[in-house]
Amino acid sequence: MSRKGSGELRSGGSGGNGGPRVGVYICHCGGNISDVVAVEHVVEAVRKLPCVVIARRHMFMCSDPGQNLVLEDVVNEKLDRVVVAACSPTLHELTFRDTLRRAGLNPYLYEHANIREQVSWASKSDPEGATDKAIRLVAAAVAKACRLRPLEPLRVGASRRVAVIGGGIAGLRSALDLASQGLAVALLERSPFFGGRAAQLDQVFPTSDRASDLLAELMAKASVDPNISLYTGAEVASTSGYIGNFHMKVTLHPRGVREGITPDQARAAIEACPETAASEFDYGLARRKAIYQPCPDCHPPLPAIDWETCTRCGKCAEAAGEGAIALEAPAREIDLDVGAIVLATGFDPYEPRTGEYGYGEHGVVTLPQFIRMLNERGPTAGRLTVDGRPVRNIAFIHCVGSRQVDGIHAPGPDGKVNDYCSRVCCTATLQAAKEVRDRFPDVNVFDFYQDIRTYGRGHETYYEDTSKQGVLFFRWTADAPPVVEAATGDPDAALVVKVKDTLTWGEEVEVPADLVVLSTGIMPRDIGSLVEMLKLPRGADRFLQEVHPKLRPVELAVGGVFLAGTCQGPMDITESAAAASAAAVKASALLAKGHIELDPFVAGVDEALCTGGVGCNSVCVEECGAQHAISLVERREGGETRLVAEVNRAVCGGCGMCVAVCPSRAIQVEGWRLDQFESMVDALLTVEG
Amino acid sequence: MSVRVNPDLREELMGFGGDDVSACMNCGNCTAICPLSKDSTVFPRKAIRYMQLGMKDHLFRSPEPWLCYYCGECSDTCPRDANPGETMMAARRYLTSLYDWTGLSKRLYLSAAWELGLLLFVALIVGALFLFLHGPLVRDHVELTTFAPTAWVELGDWILAAMLSFFLLTNAYRMSRAILGGEKVPLSLGLREFKTLLIHGVTQKRWQECESPTRWLKHLLLVTAYATMLLMVVVFLRWFQTDEIRSIWHPTRLLGYYATAILLYVTADAMISRLRKREQIHKHSDLTDWMFLILLFLTTLTGIFVHAFRLADWPMPTYIIYVIHLMIAVPMLVIEVPFGKWAHLLYRPLAVYLTTVRDKMKAAPAGTQASAG
Ligand code: SF4
Ligand code: SF4
Ligand code: SF4
Repeated sequence: MSRKGSGELRSGGSGGNGGPRVGVYICHCGGNISDVVAVEHVVEAVRKLPCVVIARRHMFMCSDPGQNLVLEDVVNEKLDRVVVAACSPTLHELTFRDTLRRAGLNPYLYEHANIREQVSWASKSDPEGATDKAIRLVAAAVAKACRLRPLEPLRVGASRRVAVIGGGIAGLRSALDLASQGLAVALLERSPFFGGRAAQLDQVFPTSDRASDLLAELMAKASVDPNISLYTGAEVASTSGYIGNFHMKVTLHPRGVREGITPDQARAAIEACPETAASEFDYGLARRKAIYQPCPDCHPPLPAIDWETCTRCGKCAEAAGEGAIALEAPAREIDLDVGAIVLATGFDPYEPRTGEYGYGEHGVVTLPQFIRMLNERGPTAGRLTVDGRPVRNIAFIHCVGSRQVDGIHAPGPDGKVNDYCSRVCCTATLQAAKEVRDRFPDVNVFDFYQDIRTYGRGHETYYEDTSKQGVLFFRWTADAPPVVEAATGDPDAALVVKVKDTLTWGEEVEVPADLVVLSTGIMPRDIGSLVEMLKLPRGADRFLQEVHPKLRPVELAVGGVFLAGTCQGPMDITESAAAASAAAVKASALLAKGHIELDPFVAGVDEALCTGGVGCNSVCVEECGAQHAISLVERREGGETRLVAEVNRAVCGGCGMCVAVCPSRAIQVEGWRLDQFESMVDALLTVEG
Repeated sequence: MSVRVNPDLREELMGFGGDDVSACMNCGNCTAICPLSKDSTVFPRKAIRYMQLGMKDHLFRSPEPWLCYYCGECSDTCPRDANPGETMMAARRYLTSLYDWTGLSKRLYLSAAWELGLLLFVALIVGALFLFLHGPLVRDHVELTTFAPTAWVELGDWILAAMLSFFLLTNAYRMSRAILGGEKVPLSLGLREFKTLLIHGVTQKRWQECESPTRWLKHLLLVTAYATMLLMVVVFLRWFQTDEIRSIWHPTRLLGYYATAILLYVTADAMISRLRKREQIHKHSDLTDWMFLILLFLTTLTGIFVHAFRLADWPMPTYIIYVIHLMIAVPMLVIEVPFGKWAHLLYRPLAVYLTTVRDKMKAAPAGTQASAG
């Protein structure tokens, strides 16, 4: 049977000789439906409805035998409309549309009735009522089916270029995978350096690779790939357009340093600079100059000027010599036309409140800070010292800023607590603890956890190894977290951590600590106006939210925008890389053909009825997620000019807000036309069981 | 008051065989599987936890290690291979050293030099005593009672028994104080439960709750053999040590053969098992475990020789092997009874007794104790 060209598909009877021929199929769902709903009864009742040529039931309609039933009936009984009553349409509507296509019928001549989630599961205790409701829902679906019109998917042209926003490990991974598919990639990094959070890490689990090595490998490939254009200091100023055809304006902030600067010149310039600021790269543990290079192997290997701190005194330019520094370079704006956008905007570590587990006291740091301390090129040159004193006892506290409980933890500025598990902190903590025991065997390590969630492949090894290396573990519950106090007059350490240890039958135990490390969680990064510009959906946890966690895990409801990495939720590097590759595949599949097919359930205007009022136009802008799908255009008719609404079908999301405000029924959403609704309502009210 | 964690104790415990304390992740599987752990006395995880955190006082007050019979099921079950059964063994060694106020026990456990040195020292004293104080050497036929007059040996027996009992009982007193937490036991309750002490002391019957009854049986036989020998050489020495060759059916000969056979069999069996690391209990062997077995085995063996040479009527070999026999048996007793492994003979039943008494006191505090107001 032909699967190609929709032109070959039968478009169904359009009134006239005999009217539509509807086939109805009721699914048992293996008992999920038939245990409550008397399916035979439904079949009997439905058979009597006008237009229904055949009504059947089957144990599993979605199975191959179930679908074959439809295939055969369409051919043998010359059906031109099909109704399946089964589970939710989100699960199998597409399945059956495809069945129709295979049967040679226009796939939009299909209607789905949900008699599982909406009937059998909801009304377990009332089988009779459930059966009656099922009959009504199926009758409504049949009524609508009779009025369905064949539709064709929309086709829009698409640019074969992708914007990847964020130059961390996920952005780099996505860019490389997209480029390997022959797509042009613009990799936009807001800061002056690529590498993101990974650049600040040291060893990474579960392979104990150096994060800098991983980045160097990705960067080396990205910087020579002819399909990839790299931009630093790049901030998205605006976006417009729609799937396949986004238009972006990007502001490129100047680096202040010319490409050709030699390492000596760079060093001289940095030395000469009199202004300093807290180093964001070292999470505030050290200070850096206004012209700075956070680490020797950062990408690109050039310093950059932080314009907020720089006073334009010119000392760096003087020290570096002719032409190395460009203090007056202006910001530029570039235009990008892209077919898809990959968001790899990353995360921010949770910033504890002052006093939270002693945060703010000397010797209390976060895990990201501690990881910087472990780094030989970090703020303490890899030595474990607090205020110059060597550290002998370290206490790690898990779940800081994660797994918070309403009523116990103070909410953040938006009134919400972080109730999710940040997932990576357990293994990251144990990996740091292991590094301490490996490198500083005399340092005692104490670990205060709620649960050890070393879920990934190879992660549990860190738990077992640290345990065998003598790390002592303590377990607490959210309502009795550990307490960090100054230990006055304690010969062992400056701080003491106390906890009601559930591993010791609730006994209160205490450990001395020179250094307390708070295993802070992963927070959604503030990506400012991007959320507004692209109308990005966010979950209750404030991370960007995919359409469906399993069925469409890296796609956003906004067509053509994909998620890569921790902007979507807590992930480790392995998972970020996997998500980034997935996003790249999705984007390249979308753009592979140079055009895009979209569902035709969008608004259309009957110009004869349209009075050119502005109701639909303004409601589209205000209420609907899509952007300016409706515009008013001029029509010349018999010398007269009048305004009518016109729908950009590629932008329209099919929400139907415009339909509701149109007084003359001139605008309708395909697949959900008003006459279809009316016939459904009639059927719901009149049918008899 | 919170308990200060002492991570350094684990290092000390290693000397007692507690090498795997750190590996435990406190999952509790061991306690769940242990056939002997009860609600009121939970083990082995509890003791392991105290050892991990260096909670020495808590451990000192714990009777649990003595209630463990090392069936090894916990070690078979532990997901971390942390050998909880062996850790309990280490806990018993450590507790023995904590109860011992002389500090000798700790030295013996932690240092092979001390252990071997003390054995040698006591052996030399015994040898010297015979060298200088033995009776006349009758050379034409065996006259052991002339070489080593029974009354003298008996006197030595009693002095030794008194000394060892003194150390053992004072240590046991410290143990009781620790486990009862300084609480006074009402006399009537203490006496009523005394039968627990006796029954468990003789039968070690809790062991039957472990899965392997053969080990319990072997152990019970060992206890009877050991008790028989002890009674014969201390209380009934004048009937046991004799120059007269009695009929083979005479009770002292029969009892002697019984005890000897069993001692020989059980010690040899245990040594082979330790060499082959067959059962869980025999997978890890401390120097003190070997010392104890070897000494017991040698004592038995030399005892057999004494008997055989006497029957063969070889005077000098009999006298010499007799001295050697005592040069092994006495140091063994001196070291093992109050300071080493044999102390468990008392500590185990005492722990059962003390926990029973403690639980009963907890269950009915008002009935037997004066109200504190
Ligand atoms: S991964 Fe571990 S430390 Fe992090 S939030 Fe989850 S349970 Fe807490
Ligand atoms: S000894 Fe083994 S079984 Fe027992 S709690 Fe520790 S890890 Fe679990
Ligand atoms: S060795 Fe046996 S008795 Fe001892 S703790 Fe383990 S399971 Fe219990």
